Amino acid sequence: MKLIAHLTLHVCLLAGICFAAAPAPEAAKPGEELARDADVSGQYGGHLTIGQRSEPKTLNPVTATDAVSREVIGRLMADLIDINRSTQQTEPALAKSWKMSADGKTFTLQLRKGIRFSDGYPFDADDVLFSFKVYMDEAVDSPQRDLLIIDGKPMQVTKLDQYTVRFVLPRPYAAGERLFDGLAMLPRHLLEKPYREGHFAQTWGLNVAPGEIAGLGPFRLKQYTPGQQIVVERNPYYWKVDAENRRLPYLDELAFLFVGTEDAQVMRFEAGETDMISRLSAENYNLLVREKSRMDSQLADMGPSLEYNFLLFNLNDLSGKKLDEVARKQTWFRDLKFRQAISAAVDRESIVRLVYGSRGAALWGNVGPGNKLWVDQNLPHPQRSLETARQLLKSAGYSWNPAGLLVDAAGRPVEFSIVTSSSNSQRMKMATLVQDDLSHLGMQVHVVPLEFRAMIDRIFQTFDYDTAIMGLGGGDADPNPEMNVWTFNGTSHLWHLNETEPATAWERELDQLMQQQMVTLDYAKRKQLYDRAQQLISDNLPFVFLGTPNILAGANVRVGNFHPAVLDPYTLWNADELYVRSSAPQNAGVR
Amino acid sequence: MRTKTLALVAVIVGLHLVLLFAGFFAPYDAASQNRDQPYAPPTRLHFINASGFHLRPFVYAWTANTSSNQPGAYSETRSVEYPLHFFVRGSSYKLVGIYETSLHLFGVDEPGRIFLWGTDGYGRDEFSRVLYGGQISVAAGITATLIALLLGCILGVIAGYYGRWVDESLMGVTELFLSLPWLYFLLGLRAFLPLHLSAIETFFLLTGVIGMIGWARPARLIRGLVLSLRSRNYVLAARGFGASDFYVLRRHILPETFGLLLTQAALLVPRYIAAEVMLSFFGLGVTEPIPSWGNMLGALQQYSILVSYAWLLAPAGALVVTSVLYSSLADVFHSRLESSLT
Amino acid sequence: MIYVGQRLLRAILLLAGVSALCFLFTEMAPGSFFDEMRLNPQISPETISALRAHYGLDQPLAVRYGRWMKSALHADFGYSIAYNMPVAPLLWKRTQNTLLLTTTALLLTWFISVPLGVWTANWREGLLDKTVTLASSFVISVPELVIAVAVLAVAVRWRLAPIGGMTSTDFDGLSEWTKLQDLTRHLALPVLILAVCESAVIVRHIRASMVEALDAPYVHAARGFGIRRARLLFRHALSAAANPAISLLGFSLAGLLSGSLLVEVVCGWPGLGPLILEATLSRDLYLVIGGIMFSALFMVGGNLVADVMLLAFDPRIRREGTNAD
Repeated sequence: MKLIAHLTLHVCLLAGICFAAAPAPEAAKPGEELARDADVSGQYGGHLTIGQRSEPKTLNPVTATDAVSREVIGRLMADLIDINRSTQQTEPALAKSWKMSADGKTFTLQLRKGIRFSDGYPFDADDVLFSFKVYMDEAVDSPQRDLLIIDGKPMQVTKLDQYTVRFVLPRPYAAGERLFDGLAMLPRHLLEKPYREGHFAQTWGLNVAPGEIAGLGPFRLKQYTPGQQIVVERNPYYWKVDAENRRLPYLDELAFLFVGTEDAQVMRFEAGETDMISRLSAENYNLLVREKSRMDSQLADMGPSLEYNFLLFNLNDLSGKKLDEVARKQTWFRDLKFRQAISAAVDRESIVRLVYGSRGAALWGNVGPGNKLWVDQNLPHPQRSLETARQLLKSAGYSWNPAGLLVDAAGRPVEFSIVTSSSNSQRMKMATLVQDDLSHLGMQVHVVPLEFRAMIDRIFQTFDYDTAIMGLGGGDADPNPEMNVWTFNGTSHLWHLNETEPATAWERELDQLMQQQMVTLDYAKRKQLYDRAQQLISDNLPFVFLGTPNILAGANVRVGNFHPAVLDPYTLWNADELYVRSSAPQNAGVR
Repeated sequence: MRTKTLALVAVIVGLHLVLLFAGFFAPYDAASQNRDQPYAPPTRLHFINASGFHLRPFVYAWTANTSSNQPGAYSETRSVEYPLHFFVRGSSYKLVGIYETSLHLFGVDEPGRIFLWGTDGYGRDEFSRVLYGGQISVAAGITATLIALLLGCILGVIAGYYGRWVDESLMGVTELFLSLPWLYFLLGLRAFLPLHLSAIETFFLLTGVIGMIGWARPARLIRGLVLSLRSRNYVLAARGFGASDFYVLRRHILPETFGLLLTQAALLVPRYIAAEVMLSFFGLGVTEPIPSWGNMLGALQQYSILVSYAWLLAPAGALVVTSVLYSSLADVFHSRLESSLT
Repeated sequence: MIYVGQRLLRAILLLAGVSALCFLFTEMAPGSFFDEMRLNPQISPETISALRAHYGLDQPLAVRYGRWMKSALHADFGYSIAYNMPVAPLLWKRTQNTLLLTTTALLLTWFISVPLGVWTANWREGLLDKTVTLASSFVISVPELVIAVAVLAVAVRWRLAPIGGMTSTDFDGLSEWTKLQDLTRHLALPVLILAVCESAVIVRHIRASMVEALDAPYVHAARGFGIRRARLLFRHALSAAANPAISLLGFSLAGLLSGSLLVEVVCGWPGLGPLILEATLSRDLYLVIGGIMFSALFMVGGNLVADVMLLAFDPRIRREGTNAD
């Protein structure tokens, strides 16, 4: 078996050599201000293959909404300031440095001089101005627009000289430099014309000719085959060099295959048809661990992710809707003791073990142990106790009928359903466990799997549900992306949407805390505010937090510099540093 | 031949009795979880221990192998033996949905466990789940097949027999039915239904939806056959003698379609039982923790489960056995019919 | 000629009916394309409603249907929200791939099931008959997706064939001959899965109708006249038994499109299946409707072929058919 594996490896390497057509990296030009990755080394050449669950929809970084498209676009484009996915800190990218004013409103960015787009065209402040104009243009409908409009006012962007740009925010914004992450800088020389002519959204679709698309990322488009793959090749003008001042990226090519499903991703990785895999479920990860004898791979368990999964109660205002049945159940859900009883009865340890195969962490708040900078270490982690739960219910006026079923003060049996997405087997499993946990309290709980969008429709539009199991988060470690969940008028204030004012005192306090942390520039003070917010949330339980999966990823042994991160895009964030080893190391093991 | 037929009928009746009295034959409740034993392999029955051979088999407890961090890695703890008992008291259930009892055919003393076909990801006894799951699945599969075949037969016969514009329009309708985006229809249907559906409601929903979507195929098959039958000499002769349409259909056409109908039935019952997998995705299937062969098979679609836990193939095995039995029965009926006609 | 005209009229009516019902169904289904954005806390509801307006999703059903009809007449079949381009070119390339897969699978299916069906009917209760019955029961009972995953799992372990995609990544650099080889290797598994699943059904039907045909008096008579067994089987009995099998063929042509949907998804075959499934789940309405229209066209085509073959194979219908026209 091993012999066959070796043979396939050789065939793969040979195939890699056949791809010799990739452009050689350009020699550095005098005056070109390149970024140096001091601790990166590798070898030139080779190509890697990545399996994607579905086909990207567009290569336009301004209009792309889906994760798959962004995964590809992220390799073709670059931003001014980048969040290093490994350290979770910001670092210079196209801007070699930046200064924030004392009031936290003004950011002055120094651009790198002499760097070029992937078609050889120089990059300067005019491209930055153009890019921000496009992002903030209402007619373009960019999903990133809302980030740049703060308090309803757009950011002011001015050019100070050819390589200096100033951004003025309408009010102080903590960690404001993080806003620049993920905003791809666009080539004005290619996009101004379609933008002026009003068909920007249609440009850079999948069928774009490789000559018509250029970016500042490590790769550039080589070929798209409908339904099958996108191949990107080395950008010979890329602005980063390694420890030996050699221009990155190392790889000649990167191919994105559209494989269909998570299982197909795993199987093709196992068969050696793809080289890297991320967002693995624990079951698939364990499978790959077991298969290591047949297939040499480097597997990484990066610890808890930033995602949080929770049981959500429908506390929406239902007046004007014909949902009397749900409204009746809301009298239970509104009772804090009822929610506390449920939280006490839920067996989080079992969830981690059975749902995540022990590769995950239990949660009692919205910030998990994976977010080391912001997690409140003092948050209580009470043990599961059915006894506590029963006491709580009793003190809230609930009792048990002779059949052992829980009834409320009015004598009505407690019966409700948990809605969850049928395509997410992990959340389905959580729902089934919670259902069983709560049956020990005499609650009759029904698991209702729904197709994903049908569920979203109920939660955001019709409010026709009792409770739901969902997951949020995972984008960035900073508290700011969480604003829309915890402020009373936030768009993801799931338990009570469209509030005109905070419905409860604690929601008012939570809202104030979140607003305050957003304008507080000092980390320690911000942390204090956010800690208090976490405590409020876990005391009042609008969500009963359940757990978070670990980030699990894998790569073929021949992939060098494989350093997966907890943040999206888990394995490809350092695509410019990845390389193909000429000989496989002996001791690639499970971390 | 006769004894063979009798044996077949006996086996089929036996199977259905086992499913009907699932509560008695299953050692555990279908929903009860053993969270410390997820994906436990089938418990081994032992007859020999240190003191020699025993007629009464006994089992050992599984202990999870925690060092490997791999679910499904278990070893037997040989220190305590749990002998198998018959007619034991266990969890209470309602026999045939009416009579409450706690008598089970077999079991072992607590804290011992007997998982004849292993456990699933929640540590639920697969054997009990297959028995309970068969109740709703087999009933729904047969009912849905009857609905689809009845509709298909009526419309197919009418289209084939009357031909011309009747045929054109009816076949137009079947083509319409076969090309509609049913997935969207299911989404829409789900939105109109109440959030929680009881097992009975789910049953009617499953049979109704499958029957409604499924009739078009048999209709086309029957129509093709009737198209050919109606121009056979004896049919033409009967019509020439002034026999009514009803008479011709009943006497000459319908009996000839039985063979095709039986073949279809043998094919459709297992297909429709498995069709629940798809419907579950849209929230129209039997929901957890109630087992059905459909939702148990759904779990098998996951690659990691299929290749790791062979015992979870049990519902597929049960379905194959049922399907073989039914198709043998169809064969017997068919040859009976043939011999009685000639 | 009149017959063809009738069929054409029926096809047009069918397509009109399908499109109208498609719009109705999509209207009934909850959720919209932009729902996923609601989960992204950084996107405001205003942006989402602006996007909906941009794609005309806020218009009443009748207006949208009218617009779509206009676009269909321009052979665009609407506009995909996800891909930001007209639907027809998206579908066209993938239709070719699906046809390649399904016709290959169809040929293999009939290649397997006709001899098997005839053989098992002739030697009833034989070892092969029992094996085939058991095997087909197995294949019919286990969901197609489980079979597909199982076949792929075996292929992964034994490195039998490429387990996904249609071509290797370096396909364009290959010579014509190696291109063909590459394509064949990639076709192997999806074709195998489809053919196995479909054969299980067809072999049953062929066997059943062969049994009936072999028991018919004229076959006994022919046997009495000393006609050779092989000729008897394949010339006389088979053509009489072909009826349901041919009706099935019509479906196979049309049904393989939907039948191959899941297999295409699992095997990463770049056909209509993954495109339509994803479009359905993401509520990319016009792409779904376009895909359904394409498969309805195949359905019409498949049934037409089946009806013509029924006429050709079954002399009795032929007589009736000429009378009717």
